[in-house]
Amino acid sequence: MNRLRVLKLGWEFPPLINGGLGIACLGLSRALAKLVDLTVLVPRSSPETDFKDFDLRGLNQLTLEKLKAAEGRYQYESFAQVRNVPVFLDPYADDGGGGISAIHSEPPADDEIAFSATTIKQLEAFKAGELYGPDLGGKVIDFSKVAAKLAMQEPFDVIHAHDWMTFLAGVEVKKATRKPLVVHVHALQYDRAGSTARGWIYDLEKYGMEEADCVIPVSRYTGDIITTHYGMNPKKIRPVHNGADPVEAFATKKKFPEKLVLFLGRLTSQKGPDFFLETAARVIAKNPHVRFVVAGTGEKLRPLIESGAFRGLGAHFHFTGFLDKEKVNDLLSMTDVYCMPSVSEPFGLSALEAAQFGIPAVISKQSGVAEVLKGALKADYWDTELMANHIHDLLTDDHLHARVAEQARLDITAATWDAAATKVMKIYEELIR
Amino acid sequence: MPDVCLYFQVHQPNRLLSYDFFKIGENAVYEDEAMNAEILSKVAEKCYLPANRMFQRLVEENDGRFRMALSISGTVIEQMQRYRPDVLESFQSLVATGSVELLAETYYHSLAFVHSNKEFDRQVEMHLQKLEEVFHIRPRVFRNTELIYNDAIAAKAETMGFDGVMAEGVQWNLDGHSPNFLYRAPTTARIKTLLRNIQLSDDLGFRFSDPAWPEYPLTAEKFARWLAACEGDVVNLFMDYEAIGEHQWADTGIFKFWEALPEAVDEAGLQWVTPSEAVELYRASREYLSGSVTSWADSERDLSAWMGNVMQQEAIEKVHRLEAEILAVNDPELTATWAKMQTSDHFYWMSTKGGTDGSVHTYFTPYPSPYDAYIYFMNVLADLQIRLRRAQEQQGLSV
Repeated sequence: MNRLRVLKLGWEFPPLINGGLGIACLGLSRALAKLVDLTVLVPRSSPETDFKDFDLRGLNQLTLEKLKAAEGRYQYESFAQVRNVPVFLDPYADDGGGGISAIHSEPPADDEIAFSATTIKQLEAFKAGELYGPDLGGKVIDFSKVAAKLAMQEPFDVIHAHDWMTFLAGVEVKKATRKPLVVHVHALQYDRAGSTARGWIYDLEKYGMEEADCVIPVSRYTGDIITTHYGMNPKKIRPVHNGADPVEAFATKKKFPEKLVLFLGRLTSQKGPDFFLETAARVIAKNPHVRFVVAGTGEKLRPLIESGAFRGLGAHFHFTGFLDKEKVNDLLSMTDVYCMPSVSEPFGLSALEAAQFGIPAVISKQSGVAEVLKGALKADYWDTELMANHIHDLLTDDHLHARVAEQARLDITAATWDAAATKVMKIYEELIR
Repeated sequence: MPDVCLYFQVHQPNRLLSYDFFKIGENAVYEDEAMNAEILSKVAEKCYLPANRMFQRLVEENDGRFRMALSISGTVIEQMQRYRPDVLESFQSLVATGSVELLAETYYHSLAFVHSNKEFDRQVEMHLQKLEEVFHIRPRVFRNTELIYNDAIAAKAETMGFDGVMAEGVQWNLDGHSPNFLYRAPTTARIKTLLRNIQLSDDLGFRFSDPAWPEYPLTAEKFARWLAACEGDVVNLFMDYEAIGEHQWADTGIFKFWEALPEAVDEAGLQWVTPSEAVELYRASREYLSGSVTSWADSERDLSAWMGNVMQQEAIEKVHRLEAEILAVNDPELTATWAKMQTSDHFYWMSTKGGTDGSVHTYFTPYPSPYDAYIYFMNVLADLQIRLRRAQEQQGLSV
């Protein structure tokens, strides 16, 4: 049987950005590449990186020459498909429609796949600026247009789009090719902005999920939000937990006698750093021989520093700012308890990484990883009293500490990207059947 | 016509390393030695050395008629001893002319008075000893860090044996009266309060180099005329020494101005006096009430430059809270390390004020932001506490 051909649409991709989305896309891509022929299309890729198992294409790396060359190879199929497609591919054309390129109802002569000035501008846009800059909306639209055009040129069986930035592109490609669309939900506007979140990003998420043939949330927790806050049919929703790449765990002896409780993540409301502070204050009141460390940066950093000072936690509550991977691992190697009090966390990969270091976790019930780490101690994110009790228990009860850490070790052996890829593969097969 | 009393502040803090979390428990060096040495040298080349040379020449040329005072903090004396003994020699030579008086202050240029009477005593005593050892001088006039002053400080300085104490002449305390007289604080018997003439001091300390100032460019003759036109017994011109050559570079003409000023003052018929001479010459005309604390910093002229936000309040409180335990351990190095963390500049750098005052804070800070200043300081404090506990355990002191 021929291998399935999958076109993946991603946004950030390591090593360029090491956010949770990029890491998850890479992990899943590597595992899926063992099962399918995979092409990953992203706005920007690093010229130095070459992934052996799959084909990663950054629009910033594309030249018109390459496009034309690709065009030459796939001319027939591309245009055979294009011919069947009504000219809706450039619904956002900003050059009055006169520049609509590449889409002709008849094959052009020779190498004539003329990309318009618009397309050239769109490509240029991915070479500079920030992926999540103020022109994010424009980038999303440009990405969908260029992706749709590129999709014309190569054959594939399934489209798999990751998060709302690529949903529009996914829908465009689906309309152009009539191939089934899978949208993968790593995070929602609901997580970032709360349950009343509405606006164009929410609309795009909803539109993408409506048009998709299957929605893959990274947890049942996120699946429930998709049902209740986005009104999707539960039958279309197939949660697949993220995996965690094994890390080389090691232990470091702390340079100070106190126990260490770690918060790791972007300092935004979504991650609940305020609740971490509140929890820390409660623990320190009972047991001053603890250091709480906040690793990460974000809009909440300064207010959090000030709140900590106001509560007089300064010498117990530390801020590291942004840390690279190596420093994060150094920190994990000396951590006694990991705390993730997220207000809404679709998954929470960092808790799995902590588990690999043998660190027991106290996590909010509003997180996807709570479904994976069955032995972790849990509390509602607002219940700082219970959260503090859990931390206090783990710090003072060595037996409990060992038991929770051991359960976490068992849980993570099952949480692999291969397991995730197998589930995704099954979904693909059902869709093309 | 009033006399003219001139005093310059000489101080450098010990700036901390970018002391991140990973250094806690491991790195017992807190100060950025390279930076401290470099800044001292830079300021010495631009200000201390040329200004000392200039004033020594002026003293000699005027047969002792030109007189002034310096207050030199313990921290900057230590820095000069460590990194630039030649600069300290230059100060010693200037003081040896006999026309340059020294003032007493807290050794560590700290806010100890606000937090601990005992630590305040200890630091003033240390500073007196240092001046005795380095300059063979015992000051008669006290000036608290950054002119921090209230009725209690005046009373305190009196019980310590000083004849004069300095303060910022703020309008809300003067209540329409002139700063150009000596004053008497309530509940004091004989100590006299010298008030800084804000307007004329800041003309020289800040506005001199500002081309947008209507009086720009200021000449020595014009300034001497302003002094001569003043009512009162003595005009107190108090400012940072670094205003000559560092805050205002040589190319602003600041050195030329000072070179010409003694003669201009002389020709205008005025006399130079040192603070202790002023205290001797004039009686305290009336009572000066300062129930709340004043200082010469920021437009508020209060403690908000160092204790205005929660980071500053926590940091300074946490340092002082260690006092009893640190002194009980009686380890000279640990005590000195702790005391250097009381230097007011550490808290000044944590200020989050905006506007003109904010930009002055920013000019002096070695850190990217007040938040970094706070984080590094608190990390250092955490490490200091670990060392303190180890020392306590070694000595079998109960924790």
